[in-house]
Amino acid sequence: MNFSAIIGYLGMFWDGFLVTASVSALSIAGSFIIGVIVAFGAVSRRPAVRRLARGYIGLFRNIPFIVQVFFFYFGLPEIGIYIDAFTTGTMALSIAVGAYAADVLRAGIENVDTGVIEAAEVSGLSRLKIYRRIILPIALRVSLRPLGSVFINLVLTTSILSTITLNELTGNAKIVASDTFRPFEVYFFLLLFYCVLTYLLSLLINLWHRHLNRFMRGAE
Amino acid sequence: MIEIDQLHKKFGDTEVLKGISLTIAPGEVVSILGASGSGKSTLMRCMNGLAGLNGGSLLIDGLDVSKPRELREIRKRCATVFQHFNLYPHLSVLENITLAPIDVLGRKKAEVEAEAFALLKQVGLADRADAYPGQLSGGQKQRIGICRALAMQPRYLLLDEVTSALDPEMTGEVLDVLAALARSGTTMIFVTHEIAFAREISSRIVFLDDGVVRADMPTDRFFAEDGGYGDERIARFLAKMRNK
Repeated sequence: MNFSAIIGYLGMFWDGFLVTASVSALSIAGSFIIGVIVAFGAVSRRPAVRRLARGYIGLFRNIPFIVQVFFFYFGLPEIGIYIDAFTTGTMALSIAVGAYAADVLRAGIENVDTGVIEAAEVSGLSRLKIYRRIILPIALRVSLRPLGSVFINLVLTTSILSTITLNELTGNAKIVASDTFRPFEVYFFLLLFYCVLTYLLSLLINLWHRHLNRFMRGAE
Repeated sequence: MIEIDQLHKKFGDTEVLKGISLTIAPGEVVSILGASGSGKSTLMRCMNGLAGLNGGSLLIDGLDVSKPRELREIRKRCATVFQHFNLYPHLSVLENITLAPIDVLGRKKAEVEAEAFALLKQVGLADRADAYPGQLSGGQKQRIGICRALAMQPRYLLLDEVTSALDPEMTGEVLDVLAALARSGTTMIFVTHEIAFAREISSRIVFLDDGVVRADMPTDRFFAEDGGYGDERIARFLAKMRNK
């Protein structure tokens, strides 16, 4: 074992880390927004909206992520649509993970006490306000932990983006490995990076979860 | 003024309200009595727009509950207190009370909060403004429910079996608040099983039986031998409630 061989490449790891972190952060935000919209669609009173949202969830959960990325990155240019690797990756992750996030959130929303929603309705709050101020925060309280797993999975999935020439952590690690002929050390180091990243994310989610559940403290 | 004319309501094939007609004038305190399944709660849900109508009309101050735009206006004037409180579990007591007045009526936060504190004081919960609903007892929750409704400064207050989920001790504390309110001139419509209380505070009793108005008379008359008691169905109901 010789870790000194990769010390000269730490800069590359760091660059890759930054790309992975930014794709992850943007995709988490994107998939959360898509997830919220699709989840509310999935419980809509309008059958057409409901079908559309449930179709979305069904569709994107049933396509291998790598195929979807290849379609965007290698397929779309054939019909004249060019999107760079970073944008493609962020978009594809937001869309695909959005479907998982939507499904988790839908379950949380369906669990919200209808009496509470009715109280908000008769008080005259608008539909949008009821979603934002009442239903979503209550649903998130139970959905946040499973949502956290979905987001951690998202971070791990960013490694697939190395296949579309994005120089994120895994992509750069591959380059370093072939430069140094030290795959064991390089990939061991890579493992550590991912662990740190996902651990930080789970810490954040725990903090948020505690904040959302602050009203449960002291409850009988 | 609440004007209900030939109101019909169905759930699937079951007709729950079979042509209800009622007029309630401002300032009246009306109790709606009846056995379980007689349609009392459904009638209330029609008034605040939680249940749509299948026939007839329901106007509040001339506004039609079945028209979404008019319903929005009705909801500013008409507040509801629920049997199961339905407080927002993730908001503090103060936020529960101030949310709608700030958001729906567009009133200033400082002003609404000052009123909320005054209301909390009235119901004896001034020190619980920062608590969350999960930290309160049932009776306290319901008093907050009443504060939340009153913060809208409603012309009409709908109370749907507000003591049914409380034990007798807590029922007392809630009824005390309501009795004070009834004397203040707010129009109140009670759906209740508390016969004695209905008798004490309401000016008028409406008795529903199987989806129709079986009796609609001043409270004194309803409880008179030749009034409500003269009706065999009502006498049976009252006797049963008294034995409970």
